[in-house]
Amino acid sequence: MEEKKKMDPRFQFVTLHQEESEHIAAPQYSYWKSVFRRFFSSKPAILMLIISGLIVVLSILQPMISGYDPLNVPTINDFSTHFLRPSAAHWFGTDNIGRELFDAVWLGTRNSLLISFAAAMITTVLGVIVGAFWGYSRKMDTVMLEVYNIVANIPFVLIVMVLVYVLGSGIPQLIFALSCTSWLGTAYFIRVQVMIIRDREYNLASRCLGTPTSKIILHNVLPYLISVIVTMISRDVPSFISYEVFLSYLGVGVGQTDQTLGKMIQEYSQYMQSAGYLFWIPVAISALISVSLYIVGQTMADASDPKTHMQ
Amino acid sequence: MKQYILGRVIRSVLSVMAVVSIVILMVYLMIPQSKVFKNDSILIKLAGKPDEIAVYKNTKLEDLGYLDFVQQQDLCRLSEDYDRCMEAGSAASQELKAEYEKKGYVFEEFTNGLLYATRSYLPHELVLNFFANFIQIDSPNQVIDDDNPDLERKIYIEKDYNGVPAIQCSGCNYQYLVYFDSSFPFIHQNWITLNFGISYPTYSGLDTWDVISSGQGELDTREVVYETGQTGTTAMNLHACQYKPSATIDHLDQNKFNSNYANCANNYKSPSMINMSYIIGGLGLLLAYLISIPAGIYMARKKDQWPDKLGTVYINFMIAVPSLAFIFFARQIGYALGLPDKFPQYGFTDLRSYVMPVIVLALLSTASLMIWTRRYMVDQSNSDYVKFAKAKGLSQKEIFNRHILRNAIIPIVQGIPSSIILCISGSVITESVFSIPGMGKMLPDAIKANNISMVITLTFIFTALSVFALLIGDLLITKIDPRIKLSSKGGSR
Repeated sequence: MEEKKKMDPRFQFVTLHQEESEHIAAPQYSYWKSVFRRFFSSKPAILMLIISGLIVVLSILQPMISGYDPLNVPTINDFSTHFLRPSAAHWFGTDNIGRELFDAVWLGTRNSLLISFAAAMITTVLGVIVGAFWGYSRKMDTVMLEVYNIVANIPFVLIVMVLVYVLGSGIPQLIFALSCTSWLGTAYFIRVQVMIIRDREYNLASRCLGTPTSKIILHNVLPYLISVIVTMISRDVPSFISYEVFLSYLGVGVGQTDQTLGKMIQEYSQYMQSAGYLFWIPVAISALISVSLYIVGQTMADASDPKTHMQ
Repeated sequence: MKQYILGRVIRSVLSVMAVVSIVILMVYLMIPQSKVFKNDSILIKLAGKPDEIAVYKNTKLEDLGYLDFVQQQDLCRLSEDYDRCMEAGSAASQELKAEYEKKGYVFEEFTNGLLYATRSYLPHELVLNFFANFIQIDSPNQVIDDDNPDLERKIYIEKDYNGVPAIQCSGCNYQYLVYFDSSFPFIHQNWITLNFGISYPTYSGLDTWDVISSGQGELDTREVVYETGQTGTTAMNLHACQYKPSATIDHLDQNKFNSNYANCANNYKSPSMINMSYIIGGLGLLLAYLISIPAGIYMARKKDQWPDKLGTVYINFMIAVPSLAFIFFARQIGYALGLPDKFPQYGFTDLRSYVMPVIVLALLSTASLMIWTRRYMVDQSNSDYVKFAKAKGLSQKEIFNRHILRNAIIPIVQGIPSSIILCISGSVITESVFSIPGMGKMLPDAIKANNISMVITLTFIFTALSVFALLIGDLLITKIDPRIKLSSKGGSR
């Protein structure tokens, strides 16, 4: 053999590099880098991200600076400050007792965002955890399906309203009422997805090798579900904002002392004809939040699906 | 299949009962009793009369099903010597007091020294009481009237005042058990009634079921001939007469009626809350299907072209914008076009009142209908039979209308019964914004007014409707698509 190699002059030996041979000859791929590259390739999404970011930052910082308190109304008897139209001095105008609408709007936005984000987070975390185990365990499936069948049959509005009625109105109560049963829907959805992935060959192999269920769920199944989960969050947050607005409008949402967008819309709807800006500004802001968060979420969901990364 | 349906029905009934029980427990145990009287004006009138306040409050709470209320006169009826027992602090009353305290009653004294006692129902009693009194079947032994010992007790078939045969009863609560008339659904019955409790504080004293199911607005008067032959104009519905105790019968009643059945419900000009919701919800639903199914089909046909993209933008817009904002916006546009922004402005007789609510309701439900129609169509268009149809040389239009649509429509059909039945509840926001006197507006109103019976009633109705609508939907798809067999699925949807 040695002689043969020496005999052929067209070949020559290369020195062996131990380190280089370890690298796999594939293009560099980082999941999160690809997600962000994909996300930032969409111009409307960037615009909406800026808008929603701006709204979130304003709603956190503005109430801190203004120290606005809806119950502290020094101008209540000063009629010259009532119903001032939006101007340079009063950006969004003033309301029926002289409160700055600009300050009120951002406090309301903060609370509305707090409610919807908290509810969406509880729904998602609880739903994903329960759903993942639900899809995996057949014993749990029989019990949970019955529970789900009962709960899913009741109109959601009814559940939320009855819960808010029973618990009393307030921000924590509203968050609880919104997330109390909605996580079951998320869990059911995740269960179906998990059941699809559960019996694929690589999971069977993993189980044969003795991987514990919790590890299979965390490492084999959940990464597949990221885009599904992001889609759900992007749908949940605007819908919870919508629910908050609508419940507070009906007067069964937050209490008298809490300021939210829905509460403001309810309070100012009587001035729709006489001082329309009072009503339409909160409506416009709630619509703007929902639309921008929804589009950001949808684009993010598309981007987080690894199947789109290679295109 | 029959076994499956039976199982589903039993499960549905059980789940409705479970939900209602949970709501009963939550409402009775978690809402403070003080809240019940928050808006009661009678209490203000009674201010300064502690005895009357105690009697009024406890009687109301007893009516609402919170507790059992007994006064000394109730206790002393059990005693041998009523008059001596009725003295304040008498020995007999003390004995009875000790006996009742063992049963869990809490005694208090009126200012004159007489006793009264209350016992709050235990959680399981609250639920059992509701279901025990829930279904009322009328029978000839129902009426107890000491002043009328000669009352006949029988059920018979006889012609009613219109000359149409009807099943009538003497001794029942209602005179007419089953009867026919000209209003939908033409055959009516009073035999089996559901008892949901009494509405309070709004619509005080009425049955909650009557509140939502009987007409509203002005009385609808017409010429009638009474049983005695007397004629007159009245709004009474002579088919819905209940027994009136002899002690309260006056000569006016005697002129009109031969029997004691003189306590009649009235006819009203405007439809009831349920019907109101149905009219608006049904029209809205019809419009929604008319818009969204063709739109969804068109989007699927033009997939990835501009109609599809435009449709997707519309769907995303409808999902993202808060429904309240959308409704107000649409209402404002309607107002600019000269349509009323409140339903009562022109009332239920004017067509203009219906235009905007129906359009708003329809548009609100188009988004999800369009998504699903498009989704099912797109999914189906990748199947083998579509490729085969293409290979046969069928046109795109034929393939879509004859082949894909018939398969894609199945899951959409499944949803139709629930949407029809649920339009009763689905329009909570729309009805509130347009001030439509329907069922949807009732729930938030009942909650704001602390009307607990009404909350329980509406919960029951909405839950029962949605559970059975799902069942009907499932049965409907097996009729449309014989390949679908429900029983093999093991009951899970």
